[in-house]
Amino acid sequence: MKLKQGSFLWYLYLDKLYCLLSVRNVKALVEYFHLLDVHRKKTLNDVLFYHFLHHVTDLKRNQITIVFNMLDWNAVGEIGFDQFYMLVCILLAQENHLEEQFIFRHSRPVFELLDLDGELKIGPSNFHMYNFLFKIKKQQLRDLYHDFDITGDCRLNYKEFKLFTIFSMNKYQESQKAVEEEKALPEKKVSQVNVSQRESLLGINHFESPSR
Amino acid sequence: MEEKPFKALAKSSGHRGSGKSSPHDIRNLCTTATQSQPKLNVPLPTVREDSELEGSSVGSTTCWSYNQKAGHDSDGGWEESDDGEDKDSFKPEELDEHALMELEMRRGSSLGGPLEEDDSKTDDEKSSSVSSLNISKHTPHRAYWVEQQSRLPLPLTELMENEALEILTKALRSYRSEIGRDHFLTKQLQRYIEGLKRRRNKRLQVMVI
Repeated sequence: MKLKQGSFLWYLYLDKLYCLLSVRNVKALVEYFHLLDVHRKKTLNDVLFYHFLHHVTDLKRNQITIVFNMLDWNAVGEIGFDQFYMLVCILLAQENHLEEQFIFRHSRPVFELLDLDGELKIGPSNFHMYNFLFKIKKQQLRDLYHDFDITGDCRLNYKEFKLFTIFSMNKYQESQKAVEEEKALPEKKVSQVNVSQRESLLGINHFESPSR
Repeated sequence: MEEKPFKALAKSSGHRGSGKSSPHDIRNLCTTATQSQPKLNVPLPTVREDSELEGSSVGSTTCWSYNQKAGHDSDGGWEESDDGEDKDSFKPEELDEHALMELEMRRGSSLGGPLEEDDSKTDDEKSSSVSSLNISKHTPHRAYWVEQQSRLPLPLTELMENEALEILTKALRSYRSEIGRDHFLTKQLQRYIEGLKRRRNKRLQVMVI
């Protein structure tokens, strides 16, 4: 999923630590929602919601329908500002590659969104359905059920899910550190080469000078 | 005679520029008021959305544009003219309250302030009454700036409205095809889109002018 470049949402950003919008961004988002709220009900119906998401992202029709059903947690056929705000945060987290952090910081609401049937447990099918939003990879899913399905019922309750988010967050941070170290390595090598070159030049000069 | 009150006030604890109500003095008062306000990133002409506002208050616009420049250029101006006051504790919103308190102190004190050098109390009373008048003139300005600070920048508003128009125009086609042209929701959406377009055109005309 990608946001359309130059669209209004494209200019918003999440706080990297808490994965939430700033007050200014929320204020702008409120105004934007108000503009789309044509019928003055403080909600967007399915048609307006579809056209909004179709305009600002590259999601397909069936994916937009899945997102709408996920957010319409009261089953009223309309999306209020709370759900709209949640959606924008999810979209921005994906756009800025902050999925792990977002799921870690907001594990409870994410769990409730994935738990479509309200059974307080989520199975692999839930993850598959929303894979385009939360980008949980297949290998991660396998690890998830292998390592965290403590009850053994092939479904995760909230505590198991929370453990998974903590684990994946640690893994993400380690991978980030490794990436940073890899970036730093070539610079070290270059500096080492320069030092050795200088030393070798100095060595040649020292060798030459006594003969003169 | 005009200079004395200014000198006395300049030497006193922090209240400045309150003389007689000549245009020059008002400009100084505007300048000092804006110096106490936080910096604004939005240029004044772009914030105005209604053409009516511009017609009614051209003078104040020029006053404020001058003052905004003064506020930007002379950042330390507030501190420079402040003699011996707690600069750090001074907040922009407390300007009027502080000035009013000083006026009350000056009126109430029989000895006068330690920094004052004027002989007569009557001059002080006159200047304080004039300054209180001028402060009351400032109050709407402060509310104006507070409102302007809470507004969204105009380029962002334009972007939002343009995008909303595109989305709603496509939604209107869906409404017409799914529920028909005569449905009240379709008509409501159509009227809303027309209203948005009119507002956008009006704003574009104002900006061109």
